Amino acid sequence: MQLLSGDARRAVFAPLDDGALRSEAVVRRVGSAIALGLLADGEQLPTETDLATMLKVSTVTLREALAELRKLGLVETRRGRGGGSFVRARDDVLAELAEARLVELGTTDLRELGDVHAAVAAAAARLAAVRASRTEIARLRDIVDRLASAGSVTGQRRIDGRYYIELAACAQSVRLTMQEMDLHLELGQLPWPPAHSPGLLDVIVAGHRAVVDAIEHRDAASARALTEAHIETRTLWSVELRLQRLGGAAPAAGSRREVS
Amino acid sequence: MTSGRAGEAARVAAAVSGLVEQVFATVDRVHEAVLRSVERSGLPATRWVLPEGVQLLLRAPGQLAVGLGLVVAPRAEEGLPLRLEWWQADPDGGEVHTLEPDLRPSSLGYYDYTTAPWFDVPRRTGRRHVFGPHVDVHGTGRYVLTLTEPVLAGCGFVGVAGADVPVRRFETSVLRRLGGAVAPFLLLNDEDRVVLSTSPGWLVGDLLAADAVPEGPVAGIGGTPWRLVLVDARSRLDA
Repeated sequence: MQLLSGDARRAVFAPLDDGALRSEAVVRRVGSAIALGLLADGEQLPTETDLATMLKVSTVTLREALAELRKLGLVETRRGRGGGSFVRARDDVLAELAEARLVELGTTDLRELGDVHAAVAAAAARLAAVRASRTEIARLRDIVDRLASAGSVTGQRRIDGRYYIELAACAQSVRLTMQEMDLHLELGQLPWPPAHSPGLLDVIVAGHRAVVDAIEHRDAASARALTEAHIETRTLWSVELRLQRLGGAAPAAGSRREVS
Repeated sequence: MTSGRAGEAARVAAAVSGLVEQVFATVDRVHEAVLRSVERSGLPATRWVLPEGVQLLLRAPGQLAVGLGLVVAPRAEEGLPLRLEWWQADPDGGEVHTLEPDLRPSSLGYYDYTTAPWFDVPRRTGRRHVFGPHVDVHGTGRYVLTLTEPVLAGCGFVGVAGADVPVRRFETSVLRRLGGAVAPFLLLNDEDRVVLSTSPGWLVGDLLAADAVPEGPVAGIGGTPWRLVLVDARSRLDA
């Protein structure tokens, strides 16, 4: 089969460097790719051998991961001619995976992830204020408008990811763009805070708008500081969601709403 | 002395222009192949317009382009979806692959090319365009210059024929063509973005404010939206 070759897709099938618990890392990566729409419902996955080579895992590990994905209902295997492994986009399962991942991580992990994202995105915002053309600024604004009116939380998460990736492209930097792709594959494994508290979407939209305004005014210092502050706020949301799970009072209804 | 500087500007401009025309010669070959195919068998909805052999252009000696092909103008009413007929050589000069970007609007990785200037400008103006440097996000993922021209057939605007040249390769080629000693210059695109710089005061990708474009002998690069400006020598190493 011919694999799509966009850079986000390349990131999906890039080698895993997680070390331990590799089959679980494969499961998380595939889950996140489905949540972000990078793998579509009904899409055929590469063969076991190809997948193992791309992800740099043993075929044993890969089979374990596929078995787990089948058990979760995110992958379906058909035998015979035209057979293979096919993606099943199950929002309820993805929400459960995100909950499980959140509980698995400590608040320190969430802070680390937020720190790196803030570093990358704030640097991109500063450079974008200096380097983004008027056309590019208009495109950023358009993305933020679409985020504000996105109908589903799935759509919100994907458009939010596009905002950050586009911001890095506005910085004229391939490396920052790739970093954002990788970060969103990790962030996509976690719950999307507005799914738990819809009002947070307004905070995100207002945060992005303020950054785009600063970029338009060529105010690099503000673009950077606003991006940093916004991502710090989002890190605190994740930490709070994590801490809420401590009492074992995970709101099942809330998690169900995560991707719908 | 001024005439010497103007002469240098003209010499650099000629070198840049020569390389640009070399790439457009390749784009012309792609363009002709599209027209021949459309004339013979129309614009098929599912089958590629370009014959396989076009990819061999990437193997031509001295080829600057690492990617080339046709990007089709979608016509939803005729069942003609977004489509790229694009070949790309691996960065290490190895294999040639077809580019298969994600064309589903619902995906985080959606390659929305119809709004990209390299597609939109030739469509609107009916003229060739040089876009970049730009990060071709969701497409090749590379930092490239994209050279395109509109393809018009009996059925109207078919799409754009084009080629991608990596910024690094373009820089190396220009400098090699100019030989050893080069006056400090900036090559600017129509957005006043630096395409190439031989002065440490400006970096490739920098966007200059209108009042920040340095004064100096200027030479246009014919057939492109670019211009060349000679700048004063300055060094940051002399502390």
